[in-house]
Amino acid sequence: MHPAVNAIISVLLGIFTLVCIFPFIYVVIISFTSEESIVRNGFELIPKEWSIDAYSYLWSMKEQLFQSYGVTLIITIVGTVISVLMISFYSYAISRPQFKYRRFFTFLAFFTMLFSGGLVPTYIVVTQFLELKNTIWALILPLAMNAFYIIIMRTFFLKSVSESILESARIDGASEWRIFFQIVFPLSLPGLATIALFSTLGYWNDWFTALLYIDEPSLVPLQSLLMKIEANLEFMRQNVDVSLMQQSLFDTIPQESAKMAMVVIATLPIAVSYPFFQKYFISGLTIGGVKE
Amino acid sequence: MMKKKLGIILASVLAAGTLLSACSSKDSSTSEKGGKNGEPYEIKWYTIGTPQKDTEKVFAEVNKYTKEKINATVKMTQIDWGDWAQKSQVMINSGEPFDIIFTNGTDYVQNAQKGAFLAIDDLLENEGKALKEVINPDFLEGNKVDGKLYGIPANKEVARQDVYTFNKRLVDKYNFDLSKVKTLQDLEPMLKTIKENESGVTPIATFKAPLRFDYVFNNEMPFAFPFEGDTDTVINPFDTDAAMTQFETMHKYYKAGYLKEDAATSKDSWPMDVENWFVRIGGSQPYADLLWSRSAKYEVVSVPVEQPTIVNDSVSGSIQAISATSKNPEKAMEFLTLLNTDPYLRNLVDKGIEDVHYKKNEDGTIEDLPARIESYNMPSYSLGNHFILNLYKEDPKDKWEKFKEFNASAVKAPSLGFKFNSDPVRSELASITNISKEFYPALATGSVDPEEYLPKFNEKLKEAGVEKVLKEIQKQHDEWKSSKE
Repeated sequence: MHPAVNAIISVLLGIFTLVCIFPFIYVVIISFTSEESIVRNGFELIPKEWSIDAYSYLWSMKEQLFQSYGVTLIITIVGTVISVLMISFYSYAISRPQFKYRRFFTFLAFFTMLFSGGLVPTYIVVTQFLELKNTIWALILPLAMNAFYIIIMRTFFLKSVSESILESARIDGASEWRIFFQIVFPLSLPGLATIALFSTLGYWNDWFTALLYIDEPSLVPLQSLLMKIEANLEFMRQNVDVSLMQQSLFDTIPQESAKMAMVVIATLPIAVSYPFFQKYFISGLTIGGVKE
Repeated sequence: MMKKKLGIILASVLAAGTLLSACSSKDSSTSEKGGKNGEPYEIKWYTIGTPQKDTEKVFAEVNKYTKEKINATVKMTQIDWGDWAQKSQVMINSGEPFDIIFTNGTDYVQNAQKGAFLAIDDLLENEGKALKEVINPDFLEGNKVDGKLYGIPANKEVARQDVYTFNKRLVDKYNFDLSKVKTLQDLEPMLKTIKENESGVTPIATFKAPLRFDYVFNNEMPFAFPFEGDTDTVINPFDTDAAMTQFETMHKYYKAGYLKEDAATSKDSWPMDVENWFVRIGGSQPYADLLWSRSAKYEVVSVPVEQPTIVNDSVSGSIQAISATSKNPEKAMEFLTLLNTDPYLRNLVDKGIEDVHYKKNEDGTIEDLPARIESYNMPSYSLGNHFILNLYKEDPKDKWEKFKEFNASAVKAPSLGFKFNSDPVRSELASITNISKEFYPALATGSVDPEEYLPKFNEKLKEAGVEKVLKEIQKQHDEWKSSKE
């Protein structure tokens, strides 16, 4: 490639990267700005007053914070495992030609992509039928199955696991379970890792299920805690009269800098773990398209 | 691929929407009533506020008392401020069985019209007799929806009164005479002095130019009854000389730099504890200055914008409603009656356990202990009758008397008790809302010239069908009025 072209592309990509990363850097800066300075001067790139108040505030609510961290970790790990297993079982089955009802089950999954039950019926099923309200399963199960990932994985299995390998395994006397875990699983690692990454992100960033199904503070995940703070601030702004009369209640809601500090704390782990998934992620996308 | 995905998303959103709206009918199960065989009935109560650590501890005490008094226990669950609107709506729409729920304003009216709440007029005559006697009748009258009452309003200040609040340090420094302040226009000389001499202070902590009408929805929407003159005819308040005058004054202030430049769009909440403002507008109640000064940590002083007025908004600020899904509405009413008439229970629910969350002084006043702030910090306004609450040590002794005086001095708005049903003009209202959101903040903060934009605003409102909505409001108002007589 011509060095000039190379340079231009590098510069363009550099600018693009900067645009992507800049908001996060800004968030980090704001989290270190003193609250007084934000109220008086607004957000600044180089604040007049630095402060670590936001982080010491977060430290003061460390009980709830660690609790929420724990909840998020548990639902992310358990949820991802359950989700990957369920999705891969389902999509492996519907990808095999010897499974008679595969068309029906593919359609069943696909149908839910077009028509969903909607919020209220879903809520009724989870709270009144399954009685999951205020349990950790309410945070895990509703997100475990995802029709879109099933379709992706089905295509992946169809393309990357050839029937001949499975046949040879069957001739050697391997059971279906053994075939799945010892042959199909390793062969499809890139695809599975992609799904795992997606659902990890999904679980980590999920706050809506907690909003619906969780009243207990001890079961509130991290992102939901962040959302609550944001929503409470919004409530305060819209109901100025209430908040002025009930000042003592709202003194405990953190302001801008503490909010940003929470964003930093909530984002870091997922940002740090991303590079480990990345290599599978890239090969998952390419292999899916090229083989056969 | 992108198109396909978009289609899928659209389709599912549509489907979700249809199902959602189809599902708002209530379930009516009143067959199995608890508490019949001598077993205490458990009352499920949802109310607003950040969940507190000691709720269980306090309600163990509450249950001891209620078991003895009304043979019932109470399970109270708090839903956080910001989550409230969405979560309570989903709970109501799903027909979840519970007994009592906090509600307010338009949510109350809509859910009552939908049949989500129980009409309690009969209960109020029997189980709630004692309750009916303590609540200011204006509350009960003003909260009737189609002639029936659907919830127990918290007995507190019944009227609303906006006040101009000033930073007292600056008032004293420049010797301003606040007794002369009656209107928005009277502020001008003061704002000028502040602008010239105080560099770190924004003279006006962003507020919208006050425009005194009895609004049908809120002060952003162009439907209101006048307080003077023909109070029975609904008009567009923005199509009046008063609006032009107020917005012009505000525009003058804006041009002079008395407001922040981004006033129309900023979401800045102007926290009291940062001393960077001179005057603001807020809803008041007796001794509000005291409360505000305490939280600001410097002194503020207020001057009324208007006379205390009883409007639909001010009577429906805090209501506990009995759900249509309640299995034992009688018990729920008994509990609400006890809560609003029994000082011991009311203070227990509000302040916590004596000597754990608060301590009582010799003169009967109370002081919060650290445990209350940390683990039982409840919003008094949402829970019920204020007049039987213990006074704090720093409260003025005549606080509740002043509240009663305030209530007595209030005038009734012409449309108090009128609840508009917006179904027939829903599409017009949707576009009018959008137009108002576009113009009102800019005009009311003076960010644009009203000479040019106010006529434009009214023109657009006309195109969107403001006349049709006014007519519908007038029709329903006349029906309501004649049904009252």
